[in-house]
Amino acid sequence: MKTILEAKELSKFSDDKESGQILKTVNLQVKEGEFVSIMGPSGSGKSTLLYNISGMDKASEGNVILDGEEIALLSEKELSRLRLNDMGFIFQQIHLLKNLSIFDNIVLSAYLAEKNSRELINKRAIELMKKTGILSLKDHAITHASGGQLQRVAICRALINQPKIIFADEPTGALNSKAAAEIMELLIEINQTGTAILLVTHDLKVAAKTERVLYMLDGNLVGEKKLGKYQLINKELREREEVLSQWLAKMDF
Amino acid sequence: MLLKILRRDLQKKKSITGVLFLFVFLAAILIACGTGMISKLFQSMDYLFMKAETPHFVQMHAGEINKQEIEEWAMNHPLVSKQQTVEMLNIDGTKLLLGNKQEPEINSVMDISFVKQNDTFDYLLDLENELIHLSSGEIAVPIYYMVRDHLQIGDEVSIINGTERITFTISHFLRDSLMNPSMVHSKRFLVSDEDYQLLNTHIKESEYLIEFLLTDIKQLNNFSQSYQESPLPSGGPTLDYQTFKILNGLTEGILAVTIIFISLLLIVIAVLCLRLTILATLEEDYREIGVMKAIGINQAYMKKIYLSKYVVIAAAASMFGYLVSLWFSPLFTQNMATYLGLAPRNIVDYGTPFVAALLIYIFCIACCRMTLRKFSHISAVEALRAGKTGSISKGQSILPIYKNRFVPINLLLAIKDLCNRGRIYLLLFVVYIICTFIMIVPVNFLNTIHSSSFITYMGIGQSDLRIDLQQSEDMSARFGEILTYIEKDADVEKFTPLVVKRLKVVGSDGRLENMNVETGDMSLFPLEYLKGNLPKKENEIALSYLNSEELKKDVGDILQLEVDGKMKDLIVSGIYQDITNGGRTAKAIFPTNHEQALWYVISLNLMNDVDVPDKMQEYLKVFHPAKVTDIKGYLAETLGDTIEQLRLLTIIAIVITLGISILISTLFVKMIVVKDSSQNAILRSIGFSLRDIQGQYVIRLLAVLFAAIISGTILANTVGQNFVSALWSMMGAARIEFVINPVHAYLLCPFLLLVAVTVTTFISTNSIANNKISEMNAD
Repeated sequence: MKTILEAKELSKFSDDKESGQILKTVNLQVKEGEFVSIMGPSGSGKSTLLYNISGMDKASEGNVILDGEEIALLSEKELSRLRLNDMGFIFQQIHLLKNLSIFDNIVLSAYLAEKNSRELINKRAIELMKKTGILSLKDHAITHASGGQLQRVAICRALINQPKIIFADEPTGALNSKAAAEIMELLIEINQTGTAILLVTHDLKVAAKTERVLYMLDGNLVGEKKLGKYQLINKELREREEVLSQWLAKMDF
Repeated sequence: MLLKILRRDLQKKKSITGVLFLFVFLAAILIACGTGMISKLFQSMDYLFMKAETPHFVQMHAGEINKQEIEEWAMNHPLVSKQQTVEMLNIDGTKLLLGNKQEPEINSVMDISFVKQNDTFDYLLDLENELIHLSSGEIAVPIYYMVRDHLQIGDEVSIINGTERITFTISHFLRDSLMNPSMVHSKRFLVSDEDYQLLNTHIKESEYLIEFLLTDIKQLNNFSQSYQESPLPSGGPTLDYQTFKILNGLTEGILAVTIIFISLLLIVIAVLCLRLTILATLEEDYREIGVMKAIGINQAYMKKIYLSKYVVIAAAASMFGYLVSLWFSPLFTQNMATYLGLAPRNIVDYGTPFVAALLIYIFCIACCRMTLRKFSHISAVEALRAGKTGSISKGQSILPIYKNRFVPINLLLAIKDLCNRGRIYLLLFVVYIICTFIMIVPVNFLNTIHSSSFITYMGIGQSDLRIDLQQSEDMSARFGEILTYIEKDADVEKFTPLVVKRLKVVGSDGRLENMNVETGDMSLFPLEYLKGNLPKKENEIALSYLNSEELKKDVGDILQLEVDGKMKDLIVSGIYQDITNGGRTAKAIFPTNHEQALWYVISLNLMNDVDVPDKMQEYLKVFHPAKVTDIKGYLAETLGDTIEQLRLLTIIAIVITLGISILISTLFVKMIVVKDSSQNAILRSIGFSLRDIQGQYVIRLLAVLFAAIISGTILANTVGQNFVSALWSMMGAARIEFVINPVHAYLLCPFLLLVAVTVTTFISTNSIANNKISEMNAD
């Protein structure tokens, strides 16, 4: 499998002297179609790592290569285009544009990318909304949807440009357990279509559904557990959770 | 704790703090200077009137008087404290030579008179506001001439009467509480008692000022009424203490009020900006406010935290503004110091501007407090739920993006935002309209005054050449020679000789006044008339706009004019615009002898194949020293200084408007970027580049600017044109129509504003690069 994302010797120093080094020469690879999660205690640098390898933030040292392009060498405009065409983002907090309708929020980045006609983009958005079960909200304002529904809107938005990789920062963190399970099922389905996912989470149940779990502590990736592809079978899930739980215990989590 | 928060906040938002400071600072300087000026003006006027012992009531009279009768009446009147009758010896301006110029006051509209120092009151003062005492051969010249002709002590003043010449040396400049202002068309020159006696033997024309000081000035109206009812002389206008005050204070008063008005405009902008800043900060801190409320922090304390920053900015800016105004105020009171003299400094000089600056501070803080009332509307739950995005907008249904197939997305987002938040852009719209107006009106007027059609406002018709023959001993003979030459010149298509004479006209108050009347055939080079037509019969006369206003004559009215020693009734045939000769001219075709003509004019048109510049050169040589000019040259010569001043004013106006538009745009964009920080971070996270987002802001501002330019241009060409006409009606042109240079007015000016706003927006939106979604999540 081709490597879609690679971080080499990635370091991040904080502006605040007290916090010191947040990332300490981190190395990481994500293959095409892979579903990777990063776990670790609060303040270990998980989110910082996600934002630095996705180009949302600038690393102090080291390289990030996304689909063959070294992002540190890209101009602001090129980086924006890379984010637009090849990356998708899902956050714990619902970051939607408040003066756009739900449907407009979904199609916006595709209109900017201009890879397809607006008619085709609208069709794809409707398909995605159907798939995520929110088609009835098409013309609604974002104020008229629940947290779980808004997270689905964010997922549709992340998928509209058919990205090569999705970065998800605690995507189920603000949801109840039912909504969280539904969102994870959606992400697994997306992953099965070939889109790589790199996900940050605190939740063992979420991480258990991913292919490979990385453990982060004090700015370092200190452990890795390969679980293999999850086939959406409940029995298998319990076994995966058990294995992961034991491994995390070894990691002092 | 409060100090720590404050210091951190001020450091974090240096640019917005700086701009807010600047606005309040400028407003404080201007209001302190303006109020300081008004306070100083009243004090200085009172001081001058006290030192000069200005009369409370003055009756001007031309003609015989019975001094004894007046004195008796005054002695028996219970309201009269003092009375004196001042005789003024009047001479024609053509007989007066001032300073090194040594040219008579031909074009002057002033009534010039010679007086001696008064004995009991109405003293004529020097520049130190002290009584002037002159020796023989010395003269004290009114300040008006000192300023106008840059006269110096030691310069000479001569009176010529035929071959006789009496010369005086300027020893003082004279401050006259009755006739100081330039708008008073009478000026008193002071000479010694001996010289006055000498002049009295030469000058036969005199006028009287019958002056009264009252025991109680509050009874002025009663006194005025009793004087009118008495049989005492009244062959001239009546003036009183209040009129002297208004006339003396008008110029400075208008300037002070203008300064205060500008400062109020600035403070309104400052307060609007303060409101925007506070709202943006509240929006930014929405969640924190929710958290603080949830953990039970007192709302009054939270308000105090937010208010303290603006208290510091407003207090520092007002205080600095006040201090700087103390340094600036002498610049604003320079003219006042010359004409009125400044009253000795006292606590009021410092107190009034201080109170004004304090009011600016109080106004700012009151507006901040009102804006901060929004605090009470923030519910803790709502704030925590909405989080960083702040209050939810209601504009989602306006202009749905997905229904639009063709418009570029950045343009669409910009238009949608304008539709959603139109009210926010209103301030910018108004400022841009004002900027466009201030920029285009002077540009259009400069172009108008530059165009040859401006001749319409100068009381002359369009002709190829104009020959002016000024006063000299052999003027009449040379005029005849020039006419003979022109009559024989085959290159001349048509010509008309015109003679300008100063004649006596019966004024609106029944008093005889001087008026310059141009006589000759007016039909060859006709004028455009505001009302009526050119004079076609010998009993008709056309009046300039200002003359018609002052003489209160309209078309069809009868005017009495003294022509060749006889009173003549003339019908006003038309009213035209004329800014030359103080705006007071007239045109008639009645025959008159050419003796005592002020000057001669010949207007002529040349045959089509004749080169005008060549002919002009020929005439200049042949008719020397007569002035030969084409219309452009005449305009340049007559209005050269005005055009230069207007050009400077136009440049200043352009620089100021560009400065204001840059300043306001910077401030506005910086604030709206702060307000939109979370939305911009989201846009960047989904692939919008910095340029895309900056482009959206540029589109929004340019759309507002474009609408404002259209509105501002329409206003400039309507209201602006009327404004200029109203301004110039004081000089004689009541209906000015702009001659617009479309390249300047419709391309260059908007282009300058467009460039200024575009560049400013791009620079001010660079901070969007700092709006990172990672930081939003970290919060």
